[in-house]
Amino acid sequence: MAGASRWADEEGDRAEKDRRKKEKEEKKRAKLAKQQAEEEAKARAEQRVQRSDERPSKKRKLSPDGEEDAQPQFGERKLLRFEAPGWGPCRHTSNFETLNHIEEGSYGWVSRAKAISTGEVVALKKIKMDYNQDGFPITALREISILQQARHANIVDLREIVMGNGLDDVVMVMEFIEHDLKTLEEDMFDPFKPSEVKTLLRQLGSAVGFLHENHIMHRDLKTSNILLNNRGQLKLADFGMARHVPPPHAPLTQLVVTLWYRAPELLLGAEDYGPEIDMWSIGCIFGELLSKEPILQGKDEVDELSKIFALCGLPNDKTWPGFYRLPNAKALKIPRDTKSGSVIRSKFTFLTNAGAELLTSLLSLNPAGRPTAKQMLQHPYFTENPRPMPPEMFPSFPSKAGQEKRRKHSPNAPRRGDAPKIGGGELDFSSIFAGREEEQKGAGFQLRIG
Amino acid sequence: MRPSPLANPLATVAQIRPSSSQIDNIPSDLEDSVRFAGARLTQAAGILLRLPQEVVAQAIVIFTRFWVGQEGGSLVQFGAEQVSQASLYLATKLSAYPKSAKSVINVYAYLDSFPSTFIDPEELHRKKDPKEYYVSEGTYQTRRDALFKVEQYVLKVLGFQLHVSLPYTLCITYLQALDVFRHPLGRELAKRANAHLNSALLSPQLLYLTHQPSQLATAAIYLAAKEVGVKMPDVDWWEVFDTDREELGFLVVGLLSVESFAMKEKEKWGEARVPMTVDAVEAELQKRSTSSGVE
Ligand SMILES: Nc1ncnc2c1ncn2[C@@H]1O[C@H](COP(=O)(O)OP(=O)(O)OP(=O)(O)O)[C@@H](O)[C@H]1O
Ligand SMILES: [Mg+2]
Repeated sequence: MAGASRWADEEGDRAEKDRRKKEKEEKKRAKLAKQQAEEEAKARAEQRVQRSDERPSKKRKLSPDGEEDAQPQFGERKLLRFEAPGWGPCRHTSNFETLNHIEEGSYGWVSRAKAISTGEVVALKKIKMDYNQDGFPITALREISILQQARHANIVDLREIVMGNGLDDVVMVMEFIEHDLKTLEEDMFDPFKPSEVKTLLRQLGSAVGFLHENHIMHRDLKTSNILLNNRGQLKLADFGMARHVPPPHAPLTQLVVTLWYRAPELLLGAEDYGPEIDMWSIGCIFGELLSKEPILQGKDEVDELSKIFALCGLPNDKTWPGFYRLPNAKALKIPRDTKSGSVIRSKFTFLTNAGAELLTSLLSLNPAGRPTAKQMLQHPYFTENPRPMPPEMFPSFPSKAGQEKRRKHSPNAPRRGDAPKIGGGELDFSSIFAGREEEQKGAGFQLRIG
Repeated sequence: MRPSPLANPLATVAQIRPSSSQIDNIPSDLEDSVRFAGARLTQAAGILLRLPQEVVAQAIVIFTRFWVGQEGGSLVQFGAEQVSQASLYLATKLSAYPKSAKSVINVYAYLDSFPSTFIDPEELHRKKDPKEYYVSEGTYQTRRDALFKVEQYVLKVLGFQLHVSLPYTLCITYLQALDVFRHPLGRELAKRANAHLNSALLSPQLLYLTHQPSQLATAAIYLAAKEVGVKMPDVDWWEVFDTDREELGFLVVGLLSVESFAMKEKEKWGEARVPMTVDAVEAELQKRSTSSGVE
């Protein structure tokens, strides 16, 4: 094990030695490059042969050693072949030229840039290295690995990861998308038209349905993480909170999802939540697209809960069995006699009955009452008039991201550093629920926290 | 998923040889030995950390990818032990079973206390109290910094391509599709097939890097059925699982050769240790050149 410590101790010497070795290697490699190129060309040619391979008759037998075939490694029958990319080392950041900064987020910095070799405009997101006990940030690792696998028309395309001179300089290269819904909404004079809302919601549902099908929760759905290009195509971004649905009963952190989009079960401390939290956020986004501003702008967790109850009504044993067993539910004094139902229908008067029904179900307090993304897409709301506007008919908006730095208005996603260590004794909600004497006022009822 | 959750990024023809180590004049037999020992070390550490085989397998594939090709890592620059550690650490991070840097480092320190590379798996647990091998705080910090650095190198060399789809579940699905479990020897067959999939991880032919999971699973089933004596359908059933006869033949030979390769390695190194650090590799090269009288 001497190597471990010595490697670190002699880092300087080693670096110099490495550098010289690198030079030597470079020369050797140059020689090999030609050979490699030839081999690659050959491999490509073989792949072409494979693709153009016609399906031969089923009867035809191959000799076991394949001597009758010029390319014995490829079968005669057309078998399913995956187009699997290979891998190669990260390229250098200098392959891109920064044009302008777009946004400074909590986990990284995003800028617009140009690929020098192709001239293609891309978005670069720099990974923020929070120096902790864990090495390369686990959230960034998840974000990258999930985005690498999640290829979908409505999910932003991660092209590659590039690195600068230092190992800490890690940058994600993504397709550049002109707008995010948050900025658009702030700059627009009128809210989206009903047909536009439908198209957006459908694309969002399609992206989220795809993720859930693959057992991935996004956990930070909000308008600033939803991008829209000039052809009306919606692209889901920011997978900094995303993760795979863990095996049953593995505790998950509740500190996910930006407050205004956070599902009630999270606010109430549920540890074994699921993809339904994303459906809640979709409900919030649906409402926001209709009203041009976030619909549940709580000041803190308690205020958020009160606003939720004011809009959706109060939970009870019937509408949400298991509600009282949630960790923070006990701290809530919910007036049982008060008659307080959902006011969604009356708040969104311009919405059709089908639309109001969908919104109400997405904003169901009981997670089990929310539709899955797949079910949502089947909802009559999408087939009734007005029909969803075809994306290519979308108006194009001036792109802020293309020119100038954006402003930030909404609260940030919870930061990783804030996350309580589950079971580590740090899960103290007293600041939120206990010790609060005052009553939070909702509309038509009072929520006592005691 | 991109492009299919069942597909793996594979090594290209040009990537397989020559490797970065070979360009640095590391004899390829030595490279094979180190890669083999490193994969086994990763496996042993995974067992001690009580990780599911899927996570261990992913770590071994990451470890193996690292050394492949001219742009891969070279043994002149990186010790296999550290790369094994970093690969395992990365694999656990992406799994539902993250392990702290501390436990990873302690486990590798413990494994390093064995005098020979070829530890009898039985001995793994039998040995003394692991706590005796916990490293001091100072050592821990040095090793942790080194681990984090190598972790970043692994990410860089792989271009962050850590995605590994494994053949294990696929193998079970295929066995069910073939209706194997109705056979009295069905379980036995499944066990053998699974064992083949595990040993294929150690293959000097890098089978997990050159073939898709469906093909690995098919070959493992084919071979296991022959060994256990279960008669398979009288048709080219492997084609249903996207494997053609040539690939099947190649993989079966590959699977069979792992065992003989392992035996040879054990013979070759005996009680000695396979060089798992940069310095040890250098010493080994010195030794070889002196004994062959070249220097
Ligand atoms: N591919 C892209 N094309 C154009 N703009 C983008 C792209 N990706 C992100 N942006 C812009 O950058 C902003 C921040 O990106 P992102 O949400 O991925 O980063 P973040 O650091 O996780 O942010 P936050 O913590 O604020 O959510 C987005 O709101 C969007 O405006
Ligand atoms: Mg964001």
